Amino acid sequence: MAEVALQAHRISKFYGDRPVFHGISFSAQGGEAAVIVGRNGAGKSTLIRVFCGLTRPSAGRLLLFGREPTALQAAHFRRVGVLLHQTLLYANLSAHENLEFYSEILGIADPAAHALRWLRRVGLEHSADEPVSALSRGMEQRLGIARAMLADPDLILLDEPFAALDADGAALVASLVREALARNAAVVFTAHAPLEIAGVELSLFKLEGSGLTPFKDEGRRGALRSLLRRL
Amino acid sequence: MKGPVSIALAAASCLSMLAALFMVFVYVPTEAEQGIVQRIFYFHLPCAWVAFLAFGIVAVAGALYLWLGHRIWDDLSYASAELGMLFCTLVLITGSIWAKPIWGTWWTWDSRLTTTFILWLLYGGYLLLRALADDTDEIARFAAVLGIVGVLDVPIVIISVRLWRTIHPAVLLTRQGEHGLEDPRMVATLLVALGAFTMVFVWLLWLRLATLRLRTRVAALRKDVALLDLAGAHR
Amino acid sequence: MLEGFGPLVRKDLRLELRSGESTVALVSLSLLILVVMVLAFGPGGARRAEVAAGALWVALIFAGTLGANQALLAERESGCIRGLLLSPLEPATIYAAKLAVAMIFMTEAGVAVLAVLVLFFNLEFGAALARLVPVFLLGALGLAALCTLLATVCGRVRAGAMLLPVLVVPLFTPALIAGCKASAALLAGQPIGAVTTWLKLLAAFDVLFVTAGYLLFEHVILED
Repeated sequence: MAEVALQAHRISKFYGDRPVFHGISFSAQGGEAAVIVGRNGAGKSTLIRVFCGLTRPSAGRLLLFGREPTALQAAHFRRVGVLLHQTLLYANLSAHENLEFYSEILGIADPAAHALRWLRRVGLEHSADEPVSALSRGMEQRLGIARAMLADPDLILLDEPFAALDADGAALVASLVREALARNAAVVFTAHAPLEIAGVELSLFKLEGSGLTPFKDEGRRGALRSLLRRL
Repeated sequence: MKGPVSIALAAASCLSMLAALFMVFVYVPTEAEQGIVQRIFYFHLPCAWVAFLAFGIVAVAGALYLWLGHRIWDDLSYASAELGMLFCTLVLITGSIWAKPIWGTWWTWDSRLTTTFILWLLYGGYLLLRALADDTDEIARFAAVLGIVGVLDVPIVIISVRLWRTIHPAVLLTRQGEHGLEDPRMVATLLVALGAFTMVFVWLLWLRLATLRLRTRVAALRKDVALLDLAGAHR
Repeated sequence: MLEGFGPLVRKDLRLELRSGESTVALVSLSLLILVVMVLAFGPGGARRAEVAAGALWVALIFAGTLGANQALLAERESGCIRGLLLSPLEPATIYAAKLAVAMIFMTEAGVAVLAVLVLFFNLEFGAALARLVPVFLLGALGLAALCTLLATVCGRVRAGAMLLPVLVVPLFTPALIAGCKASAALLAGQPIGAVTTWLKLLAAFDVLFVTAGYLLFEHVILED
């Protein structure tokens, strides 16, 4: 059985007395992909920040690879790749310098070459020496996704990865997700509307009214799919 | 707040304070050299002791909060800081009242006064932070760190200020706090006053802590209400 | 233990070389403070050494509290601190790196201030000035240790940037006393042996607060 990369048990998050979400249970296993759909302000970004261990939940238990985030060893953090609402890139450093820096602190051998490989992978090799502040929003998003994927993580958490991307960019993200699933990583990402990725079985969840529920259509679609399979 | 502990603390504080007042104003003999004003010393020193005790509690409770994460330690830390500030202010005021007839000035950069004043500034900053900041876990952790760093600073402040004043001799004649408690009745009065002020401090701390606990509970209830509202809205 | 320290420091220096923001702000602010001090107290007089020493430390303390944490503040403002927190770096390593960068910035400002101090107060270049260097560095280290630890107050609290000096300056008073006294004695021509007590005090202060910062930093940097 695949390793449970992420397990959240009845987690809640409040800012002051305002609940962002409440009593959410969720788990992600290697080789599985889930998309969390919610409107703007539904708390998707906060949920991703809690899932990656950056923000502590107000209540409930979160386990990453079976451990509390505070008990994670350095090696475990290499196994989590995160794209937040911000791309976490330094505006005054070039695209290549950014990836090189993050490769270095991730302890990757030959960071410069590794950074270059990823720049090619996300189609930014011609902008390698441009400062991030000079990149378009879509290019910055590609670079942010490359940053999240640098260490081939086993748990990938992406906040709105398709935001600001053109068709090529979306196809790129889709292929990265497929690759990650093929090497048995768990992928969780958010989107503001339901979507599909060709060749990927996505479980859909809806973040609404501070609770996380399996998407309504899913049951019907699952039934349809099994019906088709039977035929 | 009407629990047995609170009533016992109130009774003990009142009785011991009455005893202390009697001893300070009636029982103890007037000090020959300084006269009547010396009696303020029986309030001054206990206040200083309580202020130091309070700041110690700020740091210990802060460390326990960082370690255990339970909000009660943060509440204790906050309550203790407020009271420490109160007693520290009293130390400065009683010190000034005493200094005017004895040293001929309200304020002098005597080493103990300076040390107390620096502590006052330090914890003033701490309380300013708590007043300006929202009541979040982030701020509670920050305050705990500040409380710990503040207490670490105390011994080094004392040493540096003492060196500062000895190397640079004072303009005024300062008797380095030698209050000459040669009479055993003076020692007894001082001890009773110390006990009384400590009791009052513990009582006030208990009351303040109870208030802060209530505040924490109200915050928790507000969360519950917010959740109920939310559940209602989506039903 | 300090894995990732090198890349972090190198990254911050690269950013600083590119923009020069911190250096310009720190140096110009400390120079302005010096000018104010000279105008207020006059450059000459019998207590020249003391006024010069005082000016040096006032410049250090105010420019330092505003500038020492630039590297950390920039990291928080851009949100990139999250990238570091999500990396395998220990919070203590981030602290050590930011402290090192703050020290580099403050040393730059210190060099500028010392040079101008000589000019403004008609001091002699020479042994007395050279002896000031360890005193200044020890003081700057203590200040940077405190500022780096407490810098996270900015951005979390209304008026946090103003609150930082209010918190740091009282904590820094022991080192300030030691630094001022030692600098004044050295500028008045006394040998370094005359100020060993103050140097020891400064060193003790540094050891205490660098250790405290290193151990406590994780509690102030984590988010909610």
